[in-house]
Amino acid sequence: MNQPIIRFDHASFGFSGVIALKDISLSIGAGEFVGVIGPNGSGKTTLCRAVLGLMAPIEGHLHIFDCACDKLRCHHRAKIGYLPQKGVVDRNFPVTVLETVMMGRYGALGLFSRPGAHDREIAMAALAHVSMEGYKDTALGHLSGGQQQRVFIARALAQQPKVLLLDEPTTGLDITTQHNVIELVQHLHEELKLTVLLITHDINMIRSRVDRLVLLKTRLYAAGPPADVLKPDILSAVYGKDLVITEKDLVIVEDYHHHH
Amino acid sequence: MLELLTYDFMQRSLLAAAMVGGLCSVVGVFVVLRGLAFVGAGTSHAAFAGVALGYLMGWPPLLLAILFGLATVWITGWVEERGRMKLDVSIGILYTATMALAILFIGLMKTYNAEVYGYLFGSVLSVSSDELRVIGGLAILVLGLILIFSKELYFIAFDQEMADASGIPARAIFFLLLTLVALTVVVSLKTVGAILVFAMILIPASTAYQLTHSLMTLTLYSVIIGTTTSVAGVMISAFWDVPSGPAIVLLATTVFFLSILLSPKRMKRAAPAHAH
Repeated sequence: MNQPIIRFDHASFGFSGVIALKDISLSIGAGEFVGVIGPNGSGKTTLCRAVLGLMAPIEGHLHIFDCACDKLRCHHRAKIGYLPQKGVVDRNFPVTVLETVMMGRYGALGLFSRPGAHDREIAMAALAHVSMEGYKDTALGHLSGGQQQRVFIARALAQQPKVLLLDEPTTGLDITTQHNVIELVQHLHEELKLTVLLITHDINMIRSRVDRLVLLKTRLYAAGPPADVLKPDILSAVYGKDLVITEKDLVIVEDYHHHH
Repeated sequence: MLELLTYDFMQRSLLAAAMVGGLCSVVGVFVVLRGLAFVGAGTSHAAFAGVALGYLMGWPPLLLAILFGLATVWITGWVEERGRMKLDVSIGILYTATMALAILFIGLMKTYNAEVYGYLFGSVLSVSSDELRVIGGLAILVLGLILIFSKELYFIAFDQEMADASGIPARAIFFLLLTLVALTVVVSLKTVGAILVFAMILIPASTAYQLTHSLMTLTLYSVIIGTTTSVAGVMISAFWDVPSGPAIVLLATTVFFLSILLSPKRMKRAAPAHAH
C-alpha cells in the first residue's frame, strides 16, 4: 500500500449514546480505490461523515493527511471531494451547472476571497472531465439524474481534491446510468490518480473495479481484495438470510427491495 | 404627481422605500432558498414586541427591536440545529409568544400611542431624517456583510451539510444569515410595519424564482423587483392617499402573480438534455 492518507486507529463514532461504528482500525493508501459495503445501518454513512470531519471519534483516533482529526472540522475538508447521497440536495434549486460546480471552489478559496477567472477555468476543466462542459449555462433541475450526478462529481473535482468520497452515487439511477457513473469514477481514479472511497449497496457493480473492499456492520468485518472479502461465510455473517448467492452474482435481499 | 417629488417628506419616503425594498429583496433570496420564510414572520412580530416594550419603559425602541429579533432567530436556529423540533414549530411558538408579549406591553400603556401602531402597520411617509440615517446605516451594514460572505451564503442556502463538508464554516454562516434577517426586519419596521415586512422579504425573491434558473440572475431580479415595487408603492400611496405598507405589498403581490403567469419555468419544462 502507498503512504496511508486516511488512518482509523481503534476509532469509535456515535451520537446520542448510540455507537454507530466501533473500534475501527483501517488504513487507506494514496491512490487506492476502496469500496465500502455493508447492510443498512452498518455505519457506512457514519464512516463518510467521519472522513469529512463532521464527526469526531469518541474513542481512538482518526488521522487524515497530516492531521489528527480528534476535533471536528479540520482544515483537511477542502482536500476531500464529496458526492452526497442523491436526494439530499434540492435538485430544483435555481442554479446553473457552472454555478453549482463553482461552489466546489468556495471551500478551497476560504473566507473573504472571491472566485476569479482562474477558478472558473478550474470549474470548466472539471466539467470537461465529466463531459458536461456543453451544459454550463443549463439549469441543474433540467438535467437527468445521471447528468446531475456528473455535475456533482465535477463540483467535487473543482475542489482539486486528493480524495474523492462518494456516498451511494448510483442510488435512484437506471442500470445503464449506474454503470456509466461507476465507469466515470474509475476513469477519474486512473486519470487523475485520485484516492477513491466509494460507499455503496451494490457489491456486484464495484467488485471488479475496486482495489479493496471494506465490509462494515458497526464493526469492521473484513477489509481486503474483493476475492478475500466476498466469501459466503463472511457475507452470511454480516447479511444473514438477506444474502442470496446465485451462480454469477451476490444479491442482497434488502437492496433488491430498496431498488425495485 | 411630479410636484409631490419636490417635498422633503416625499424624498425621504422614496429613499427609505428604495433602501428597504432593496435590502429586503437581497436578504429574501437567501431566506427563500434556505427555506426560512416563516422565520421572517416570527422575527417581525418579536421585533414589534421589542418596540412596544421600548415605548412602555421609555427605552430606545429600535434597540429593543434588534434584541428581541436576534433572540428569536438565534433560539430558532439553535433549536433547528439541535434537531429538537422542526423549525416551523419552534418559530410558530415564538411568533405567537412574542405577539402576546407585544399585546401585553401595549395593554400596560396608560394612553394610546400612535407611534407604536406606526411600527405595526408602517408609515413610510412620516420617516424622519434621523430614522433615515438609522435605516441607511443598518442597510449598509447588512448589504456589506452579504457582499463579503455571498459565496458562503449561497452555498449554505443550496446545501448546508455539503458546504460544511467542503470547509465552509457553515454553522457560523447560518447564524450570520439569521442575524441579517433580524436586522433587516428591524430596518424595515418603520417603513412597512411588522405585519407586512415579511411580505417584503418573501415576495420579490419568490417572484424572481419564477423567472430564472440562475442564482446570480435571481438575486438581480429580486433587487429590481423589490426596489421598484417599494418606490412605486410609495408613489401610489401618496398620490391616491392610501396607506403605504399595503400599497407596496399589494403591488408586489400583483407582480408575483403576473410572474407565475409569465414564468418561463412553467411555460417550458422540456429538458435540453441528451441522456447520459
